[in-house]
Amino acid sequence: MSRELRVDWPECRARGLCHELLPEIVQLDPWGYPLVTGEVTEDLLADARAAVRACPRLALRIVGS
Amino acid sequence: MSLLPPLPDEIDIHPGPALLDGIERGPGLAAHRQQYDEPRASSLVELQALVEAVGLRGRGGAAFPFATKLAAAGRGRRALVVVNLAEGETASSKDSALALRRPHLVLDGAVTTARALKAREVHVVLPGDRPVAAERMRAAMAERNDAVRLVEHVTEGRFVSGQARAVVELIERRPNLPVTAWDPEAESGVKRRPTLLSNAETWAHVGLLVLRGAASYRLRGTTSEPGTTLLTVTTPGARPAVHEVAYGSRLRDVLPVSAAGSPGIVGGFHGSWATWPTLANALVSVPGMTSLGAPLAAGVVLLPGSSACSLQVTTDIVEHLAGQSARRCGPCFNGLPALAEAVRGLLEGTGSQQRVEELCGLVARRGACAHPDGTVRLVRSLLLVLTDEVVAHRHGSCTVGVSDLAGAAR
Repeated sequence: MSRELRVDWPECRARGLCHELLPEIVQLDPWGYPLVTGEVTEDLLADARAAVRACPRLALRIVGS
Repeated sequence: MSLLPPLPDEIDIHPGPALLDGIERGPGLAAHRQQYDEPRASSLVELQALVEAVGLRGRGGAAFPFATKLAAAGRGRRALVVVNLAEGETASSKDSALALRRPHLVLDGAVTTARALKAREVHVVLPGDRPVAAERMRAAMAERNDAVRLVEHVTEGRFVSGQARAVVELIERRPNLPVTAWDPEAESGVKRRPTLLSNAETWAHVGLLVLRGAASYRLRGTTSEPGTTLLTVTTPGARPAVHEVAYGSRLRDVLPVSAAGSPGIVGGFHGSWATWPTLANALVSVPGMTSLGAPLAAGVVLLPGSSACSLQVTTDIVEHLAGQSARRCGPCFNGLPALAEAVRGLLEGTGSQQRVEELCGLVARRGACAHPDGTVRLVRSLLLVLTDEVVAHRHGSCTVGVSDLAGAAR
């Protein structure tokens, strides 16, 4: 199963913690909002879960597809 | 902007072969029942078979198969039905046309479906910015005595108010703005119940199917795309015209002669530019027009005319759309004004196309609703289809010979 990191855009306020915790697949755009550049692979799953938990806006989810 | 109709309720509605047949008799319930009998109750299985038999697709823009939505709404908890008349797309007037002339066909479709789903309520979402159409629909609702309750809601009347999730928010009495959809509305919508939400035209087609049957419906259109569709044709300075045409007919037949020779936008402010030869040769078809790079979407054809510069029109529309952001999603409320400025740069011959493309990439698919995506669609289609115009402006001129527009801005 492939997993995807999805942003709840109306909730996101560009705090940037997701990029700090998961730079492998989260870049920041010119305004500081997350740019998700890849899937959540098995080796990134623990860090992705940490990013979801750390988001102060609770604006991240891991979605299976 | 000149392309915006001054009074969106003032529409030229042309009689048509199916939905708009008999509109001269007026919108009242008595006239409607003279033309059509009372719809008989359908079971969910019968209704499912009916919409599958004609391959009915949603007419809000996404052309999603209605049967799939209906099946999803029929599973699980008690469903509710929503008639969306919000018509957020500024250039579209077809749902307003139905509210003004065919409100009971729309309601027959929704009420029959609600009964098949054993739903108790049909929520009718009226456009806050189109008071005459809203009032006509309200009057139609008051004329009826249905076995389900008709509940009225009025949108805030901005571009994004009609987006499915914004409508769900409105019904749940929260601000009428889009939020992230984690599941399709048909599975989990209002109060997490299955919510069968479709626009007025879709419900009118369901009404016609219920009242007249699939065989009659298939008399029009093609084998692969039976039936008809509504189109809104908008030209500057004129009232928008709503036409009902059979699938497979020539698009050109509903375009005014004055439009010949100039490019137009198919799909509305969230649509795609198409050259005149594309428009002139196109057949009205969902997959056909998608393959031409000009998806029919909600059936809008905007024709700015030979005196308008397509780059100027695009700049005006993108600036308007940037102002219509709900200002909730960062990439949209930061990106759309930046994109508008970059497109203006192309108009004035000072900006780079690379910057425009870069901003399109930063905005697309990064919001709760389709507003950024639709805006990007319009801009990308300009770059793809009307390359000559962009090049002309880079050299300080304009293909329609109104380079003073660009000159004045410099």
